Amino acid sequence: MFFWLLAALLTLAASLAVMKPFLRKADKDAAAGEHDIAVYRDQLRELDEEVRRGLISESDAAEARAEIGRKILRLTKAQEKSGAAPQHAKLAGAIAMAAVLAVPVVSWGLYAMLGSPGLPTLPLQARLQQDPSGASLDELIARTEAHLADNPEDARGWEVLAPVYARLGRYGDAIAAYRRTIALAGATADREAGLGEAMVGQSGGVVTADAEAAFRRAMDLDKANSRARFYTAMARAQEGRHEEARAIWQEMSESLPDDSPWKGVAGQALANLAAAQQQRAGAGAAGPSQEDIAAAGNMEPEARQEMIEGMVASLDAKLRDNPADPEGWRRLLRSYVVLGRRGEAADALGRALAALGAESAEGQALTEFAGTLGITAVR
Amino acid sequence: MSVELGHFALVLALALALVQSAAPLMGARIGSLPLMRVGEPVAITGFALVAAAFAALVLAYVQSDFSVLNVWENSHSAKPLLFKITGAWGNHEGSMLLWVLILALFGALVAAFGRNLPPTLKANVLAVQGLIASAFLLFILFTSNPFNRLQPAPIEGRDLNPILQDIGLAIHPPLLYLGYVGFSISFSFAVAALIEGRIDAAWARWVRPWTLAAWAFLTGGIAMGSYWAYYELGWGGFWFWDPVENASFLPWLSGTALLHSAIVMEKRSALKIWTVLLAILTFSLSLLGTFLVRSGVLTSVHTFASDPTRGVFILAILVFFIGGALALFAVRAAALAPGGLFHPISREGALVLNNLLLTTAAATVLVGTLYPLLIEALTGEKISVGAPFFNLTFVPLFLPLLVAVPFGPLLAWKRGDLLAAAQRLQIAFAAAALSGIVSYFLMDRASAFAALGLALGLWLIFGALTDLCLKIGIGKVPPSVALGRLAGLPLSMFGTALAHAGLGLTALGVVAVTTLEAESILTMRPGQVAEIGGYSLTFENLRPFTGPNYTEDRAVFAVTGEGGASLGEIVSSKRFYAARGMPTTEAGIRTFGLSQLYVSIGDETASGLVVRIWWKPLVTLIWLGALVMMVGGAVSLFDRRLRVGVPARRKLAVAAAGEGA
Repeated sequence: MFFWLLAALLTLAASLAVMKPFLRKADKDAAAGEHDIAVYRDQLRELDEEVRRGLISESDAAEARAEIGRKILRLTKAQEKSGAAPQHAKLAGAIAMAAVLAVPVVSWGLYAMLGSPGLPTLPLQARLQQDPSGASLDELIARTEAHLADNPEDARGWEVLAPVYARLGRYGDAIAAYRRTIALAGATADREAGLGEAMVGQSGGVVTADAEAAFRRAMDLDKANSRARFYTAMARAQEGRHEEARAIWQEMSESLPDDSPWKGVAGQALANLAAAQQQRAGAGAAGPSQEDIAAAGNMEPEARQEMIEGMVASLDAKLRDNPADPEGWRRLLRSYVVLGRRGEAADALGRALAALGAESAEGQALTEFAGTLGITAVR
Repeated sequence: MSVELGHFALVLALALALVQSAAPLMGARIGSLPLMRVGEPVAITGFALVAAAFAALVLAYVQSDFSVLNVWENSHSAKPLLFKITGAWGNHEGSMLLWVLILALFGALVAAFGRNLPPTLKANVLAVQGLIASAFLLFILFTSNPFNRLQPAPIEGRDLNPILQDIGLAIHPPLLYLGYVGFSISFSFAVAALIEGRIDAAWARWVRPWTLAAWAFLTGGIAMGSYWAYYELGWGGFWFWDPVENASFLPWLSGTALLHSAIVMEKRSALKIWTVLLAILTFSLSLLGTFLVRSGVLTSVHTFASDPTRGVFILAILVFFIGGALALFAVRAAALAPGGLFHPISREGALVLNNLLLTTAAATVLVGTLYPLLIEALTGEKISVGAPFFNLTFVPLFLPLLVAVPFGPLLAWKRGDLLAAAQRLQIAFAAAALSGIVSYFLMDRASAFAALGLALGLWLIFGALTDLCLKIGIGKVPPSVALGRLAGLPLSMFGTALAHAGLGLTALGVVAVTTLEAESILTMRPGQVAEIGGYSLTFENLRPFTGPNYTEDRAVFAVTGEGGASLGEIVSSKRFYAARGMPTTEAGIRTFGLSQLYVSIGDETASGLVVRIWWKPLVTLIWLGALVMMVGGAVSLFDRRLRVGVPARRKLAVAAAGEGA
């Protein structure tokens, strides 16, 4: 809209420029012949100077003076003969009208044909601030990847690419790109939070310990980072610490400005949490909702399920080989609970306690953690 | 939004240019003063609009707005800011926009400062300018639009050709275009005179400053381009006689002729028809040059075939303006009254000789440039017309011109005395000849050609000095009087002397380099020493370096003079621009006095790094001479006589009104 206003103003200015000579009173100009006579006078004056400098002989100068004099005479005669030039005021007015009209017609017509008025300016710096969206993401990514292959040190390129990967579900690439950006250009709250989010995506919506560490680093850099706060709350919810999660989400949905995308997301999470609790009050059992998983990834549901199961299975296998890993057990328990496989969770807790020792500090902490998820060991 | 606003401004400028080409012309036809006046505000507004469009394009480059096709094709976000800006005119579309911007600027200047022009002449001149602007704006908007958009926008651009990422390119095209386009004013004046069927006596006076300014800019532009090729292309040549260079040299030759014939016309009202023809030819050659350089229409027949709309459009523009102007000339030239009479041996005669030699020289260059292109277009056979052709044709024409130059300013108007002029020049001649002979015997390896060339260059310089000395009467009057006369001398006389001396300096540089240059090609390992021109270069090491958008290997050479005194170092490098995958060679150049050491490195081989070293004696004189010529042009431009124009207008207007009453 503003563009059209400016375009209209420009057109108006241009039309006024065409009209200008008609808006002021005509002033009389010297006839062309008078300019000529002035030049001939100058030529006569210069002749004297040239004679003085010896650039022309006296006799040649006299001849030249005669030549110039004849020209002045001829000119004066011609001027006397020719009267005032004819004035065609009406015709001139019509031509002027056509000229003034031509300005908007030609410019708006041609611009309608050639221009792309709806297309905003896209300075690169501004584009890097926001998520690139649009149809040709693949092309975009390919070009950027080619560029980064030539310039692996280009932190900005990696930074552009990382969120794009995450959006497309290429979490592994996204994690690598974020790590690369942080290594090249240093950590910022946004980069760390992005890294954590990609990790959550990779584990199918489970906030893993690595992801939580990334969010913690992000919040160390910027306590108010919405992304990091949201996922921290999600981690609490997934651990079954619903009150802590609710507190954070509540705070976010109340204090965030209206234009923040995280306000709505936090509100949605709150609603989900309430619904899940209600369900649990009814059924007596259900863990944190499946929606959390759905919210995080946008893969095909079957594929996602498969991927998560694969990951959980590999974690389980790892812990069978190397059970002295309380953090790993915690992740496994939380994963089983999120997946709704409570029996296996209980079984895993049993194995963990067997390995760590039920009476050890670590074992007791794990038992307490399992309690928050509503799991007790199968003996 | 700024991009689209720029696009709109450009379209609006086209609308105004169309009005500018029609309304004043019709106004002049039917004698309507307000209609004739339309050209002035429209030309100024049109300039503002084109300037806005150009600013929008530069802004898009600075912001790396890759939603603009032109920016994506020619820029890269990692490019240094300066080259982002200059990249805006480093490509076909942007340079065309720059061309039109300069055209609009000159049109606006005529509109704003041509107060003393008769209204019909001014109306016609502005109309012709508007016609040229219309043609170019149509060309830009329909075949070479820099504001075409890309959606979705890529995230990174394709970068500018690395050899164009150079400060020389920042200055060279604008200067060149100021020259080319400056001649459009002379052209417009010529066509306007033909339309009216009469030439005012003051015509030459109005045309000369524009021609002078255009000529000075063109001189600078050519020199800049030559120096750029010298240091950027890495083979140390300063002139290659390639079509692109010839394209800028052609209007220079005919423009120089125009400059001189306009003097005769202004002073003696003679050579009118010839001057008008020259004005048309000069701008025609400028048009040819613009398209030769930018679109490669004729340099490559394949380009022409691959983009027929653009090529056909260009041909149409050339045919319309050159053909149209010449046809008009054929119809109207007879109506132009002939001017004053003169003898063959006179100042006028000397200037005619100058014109004959310059235009013939221009014709040979034109033939040498177009002939191979024509052959290729007709038969598909590629032939090369290079330096040998031009040495055989151009040089024999130019040498007598150089010999004759000092005589010109010493001959009297109307009827001159060649013998007297020669007598006055005998000191200059003796001094030049003596220098030639001494150099022949003193310098080893100096050929007879070198000695003759040196003498010729000095002859021009001493001749210019003699002219000044004679004009102020050194030797005839006491020094104080001579000094007083020197201060009172018109600036245009200094301009003449400077321009002629500058020509001598350039000739001296060219002769010195072509005959006395020393070249050494060798492979070097670190620590090795090369001797050339009395200097020794020690190859120290080859070290990698990373620039903003390139990586390079820098070879460092320590320079020592005679007696082993250290003179610092020379760095030459091979660069690689990853975005385009293009390597370039950056020559290492050190200037000692007027001469230069030029080092260019090649590839690394088993036996070491390939290094080419040149000792180029007096090479800087080539460009310094051009600079002196430019200064000469500028000094002439500031001559009061040219600036004031016709002073008596107001008084006359009052007198005319009195007569009317």
